[in-house]
Order: sequence, then C-alpha cells, then structure tokens
Amino acid sequence: MRRPRPVTVRRLLIVAVLVLWEAVPQTGLIPELLLPSLSSTLRALIADWDKYGEALLVTLYEVSLAMLVACGAGILVGALVGGLKPLRDLLLPVFSSLYAVPIVILYPIFTAWLGIGSEAKIAFAGVYGFFPVMLSTAAGIRTIDPQLLLAARAMGATVPQQIGRVVIPASIPTVLTGLRLGGALTIIGVVVSEMLTSTAGIGYLVTRYRTILDSAHVFAAVFMILVLSILFDTFARYIERRTMVWQTAGRRERTDTADRRLTTAPAPV
Amino acid sequence: MQRLANLSAARTDAGPTAIEVAGLSHVYDGREGKVPALEDIAMTVGAGRFVVIVGPSGCGKTSLLMMLAGLRRPSEGAILCNGRPIPSPDPERVGVVFQEASLFPWLSAQDNVEFPLALRHAPRAERRRRATDMLDLVGLQGFGGRYPHELSGGMKQRVAIARGLVQDPPVLLMDEPFAALDEQTRMTMGHELLRIWSQTLKTVVFITHSLTEAVYLADEVLVMSARPGRIIDRIAIALPRPRTYDMMATDTFGRLRDRIWQQIRTAD
Ligand SMILES: Nc1ncnc2c1ncn2[C@@H]1O[C@H](COP(=O)(O)OP(=O)(O)O)[C@@H](O)[C@H]1O
Ligand SMILES: [Mg+2]
Repeated sequence: MRRPRPVTVRRLLIVAVLVLWEAVPQTGLIPELLLPSLSSTLRALIADWDKYGEALLVTLYEVSLAMLVACGAGILVGALVGGLKPLRDLLLPVFSSLYAVPIVILYPIFTAWLGIGSEAKIAFAGVYGFFPVMLSTAAGIRTIDPQLLLAARAMGATVPQQIGRVVIPASIPTVLTGLRLGGALTIIGVVVSEMLTSTAGIGYLVTRYRTILDSAHVFAAVFMILVLSILFDTFARYIERRTMVWQTAGRRERTDTADRRLTTAPAPV
Repeated sequence: MQRLANLSAARTDAGPTAIEVAGLSHVYDGREGKVPALEDIAMTVGAGRFVVIVGPSGCGKTSLLMMLAGLRRPSEGAILCNGRPIPSPDPERVGVVFQEASLFPWLSAQDNVEFPLALRHAPRAERRRRATDMLDLVGLQGFGGRYPHELSGGMKQRVAIARGLVQDPPVLLMDEPFAALDEQTRMTMGHELLRIWSQTLKTVVFITHSLTEAVYLADEVLVMSARPGRIIDRIAIALPRPRTYDMMATDTFGRLRDRIWQQIRTAD
C-alpha cells in the first residue's frame, strides 16, 4: 500500500477536527457551554457579523501599525546591532535576555502612559514583535559568509555597493523568518492587550462574551483570530519560499559528472 | 618610494613583466599578539606566464595573494602590477578566483558573471554580451540561467573563473580554486584552465596544495617555507605545452614533483 502524502494527511486532519467540532457537542458528550458546535459558532458569527466586522477592522488596523513599528524598528536596530561590533557586544546580550521576559506584564504601564485606546495596543504589540525581527536581522547580517564580501571587494565594490548588493540580499531569508515570527507575535500582542483592557477589537469581544457566558460568540471571535493568524502565516511562508529558493535548495549538491561530460579533455591515464 | 624606483629600474628581463614584488613582509596584529606571516618576498612574474605557489598551510599564501589583488596592504615592501602599484582592488587589472565557490547564491550564473560589470554601471547589453562570451569560454554555454545551487562544484568554479575574467584583466589570481573538488574533476578543471589560459594569454598566479597540479599547470613553481612564509625555491617546469595527462607518468614529471616535495618537507 502506498503511504499517503503529508499534504493529504494534513487536510484530512483538518476535516476531522471540523467534523468532531460539529459532532461531539451535538451528541451532548461535551456541553455547548464548554464547546459550542461549529454550526452554532458560525451562526453566532453571521448573526452579529456587523459587530465582528467592526472589531476585525479595529484589530487589523492595530496589527498593521504594530507590524510596521516592529518591522521598521526591528530591521533598523537589528542591522545596526548586527553590523557594528561595539553595539553588538553592548546590546545583543541585553536584547536576548529581554526576549525571554514575559513582556505582557508591562502592558499596564503602556496603558498608564498611552491610555486604553489603540495607541497602547499598537505600542505594546510593536514592542512584542520587535524582538524576533531585531534578533534575526542581527543574526542574518552577522552570519553573512565573509568570503562573499571578500569576493565583492575583489571586484571593486564600494561599501554602499557591498551593503546593497551583498549584505541585504544575503540577509533577506533570515530577516523574513524574523518578520514571520515577529508578525505572529504582533497579532498575539494586539489580541492579548485587547482582551486585557480595551473597548474595541476582536480580543475585546472574546472578553465581553466570556463574561456573559455566551460561548458561541466567544468561539466565533476565537475562530476569527485563528483564521487571521493562519492567513498571515500562510502568506508569510509563501513570501519566504519565493525568496529563499536558493537557500533551501543549496543544501543538495550535485554530482560532478556534469563536469566530465562538459569537457573534451583526454581521459586520465 | 625608494623601493618602487629600484623596482622599475630593475625591470630589464626579456619579456614585459606583469607582477613584481620586492622586499614584501607582513605582520598580522592578531589577538594573540603579532604574527609574522610573510618575510622578504621577492618575485617577478613575466606577462603571460603561469606561476604556481605551493607551501605548507598557514604559510601566508592567501595573504600574499590578497596583497597582489590590492585587498590587503603589506606591512612592508612594494608590489607593482603592470608597472603600477595596486593600492586597492581593480578588477580591470587583476581578476581573483577564490577556493570556495564565492558565487552569490541569489544570482544566476549569468548575473554572477555580470556582477563586476554591474558595479561599474556598464550598459545592460554590453554586460549581457560579455558575460555570455565568458560563459562560452569556460564551457558553460546555455547554463547562464542556472543558480549556483543548481551547478556542480566544478561548474561553480567555472563560473567563478568567468567572473574573474569578465573585465579582461591581464592578471588572474587563483587561491586554491580546485581544492574543494574531487580528484577527477580537479584534473579536468586544471586541463580546462590551461585551455582558457592559452586562449586568453593571461598571466596566472595559482596557489595549490597539490604538487601534481602544480607541476602539471606551471611554467614556474615557487615554493614557500612555513610561517613566516619565504620563497625558498623557484623551479622552472620545462615540460612542453600543451600539457597532456600522459606527462604525469614521465620521469621528468616525477623528478620535478619530488624536488618540490623535498623542499616543502625540509622547510617544515
Ligand atoms: N586577518 C588575520 N589576522 C591575524 N592573523 C592572520 C590573519 N589572516 C591570516 N592570518 C595568519 O597568517 C598566517 C598565514 O595565513 P594565510 O595567508 O591564510 O596562509 P595560507 O593561505 O598559506 O594557508 C596564518 O598563520 C594565519 O593564522
Ligand atoms: Mg590559504
């Protein structure tokens, strides 16, 4: 028997989860209060679509700006830290340990400074997403093969040309990985801060419906966040794949038989 | 300056000279203190000659090559390339091929070869034409669209050679260009290099670990001592050209290789 392809298995798993989500609550095995069925979740979503749509726009707006902050600052600081040795020695250990701190404990401070509107959430989520972007940008720049820079210099590349034509293209794959992780954290940051203190956004809907024990509506909001995260991740991976062809494929070396076929040199004795 | 004047005055040999090095020494200021890498190197490479440098690893071969390429400044001494100093890299005067494929993995073979021309903002059509010519020269016609990861080790080094030659420099420096290749490919590539060399009339300075490769390729082999590197012997290779693989089996070939081996051994 042939083994099914991983993609097929993955799709079947998703279908299975959706079917169980619908079937198990229907049978009464798990009460609807704990797990509303897929259909009642979707019904709730459609019935209050105007509310969810409005919340989605708020969340999207905050996520977009937070991503802009995280990516912009992350790439800039990462490039400086990765490129300049004194800054690297000074800041990298600090940033690396900050990354491990649960930054969510700082959110109350953000609200104290910026209020409970969008600004605090954008700032918080921006900081949250900043670290992976910054750390991977620094790593990407630091791990560039010095041989490539040497070759560029040998060909007469000026420093700006070395940056534009070697450093940037060489670090794009690592930076993109950082953007994917940072982007995901940004979404988490926005939703979490909406859940904590806020008056709008999908995270706010989760909290509000939970306090009134309306499980179907809670799950509808959760469902939207799920879809949003998956869409972002799929998109980011697609971009990564497009730009990383050379990186992922570089591992397989070809055999050298082609060289021998190419040449008309006499055979070694 | 005094030395430079002496150098120019001393240039009285038969043919024109491509590279002249006099009184070159180099000391690295490394983390573990000063490392004397090269000591009082003097060498003259006639235009169109194929000179091979051999020596134990760490003896300063790469350092010397970097200085010939203008990539590093010697602590002391003078280098003249076609009669002029080379204070910074100039791909129109000196092309360089490194050991590992130093090709840019995000560029196709064609774009890799065009890279030095693009740095100079050469017109696109001219870039295309010259890079295509070079790929043809190294036997890679039709492979321009391939990316480095789609090429074998030998093909990558062919691209690197094409890139080194694309601005038609009179001098080509090669730092163990075939060291990472398997034995058969390495022999093939050496043979191909001789073909390219005879077609383009370049001056080649070639570094290698392989004594067979050295004798097979060279007009002259320079043997360096262990660090600090000095040139301890110059061996003219009087084998006829074009070289063939059969020559490796001859007594002359064996004697030349032995002589180099003895030199390196006693130097160590
Ligand atoms: N940038 C550097 N700083 C300090 N020491 C160096 C540097 N580059 C090379 N060296 C030292 O100089 C010596 C010669 O190196 P190299 O020219 O690479 O030798 P080779 O190419 O013959 O193996 C080695 O001992 C090496 O450790
Ligand atoms: Mg070396």
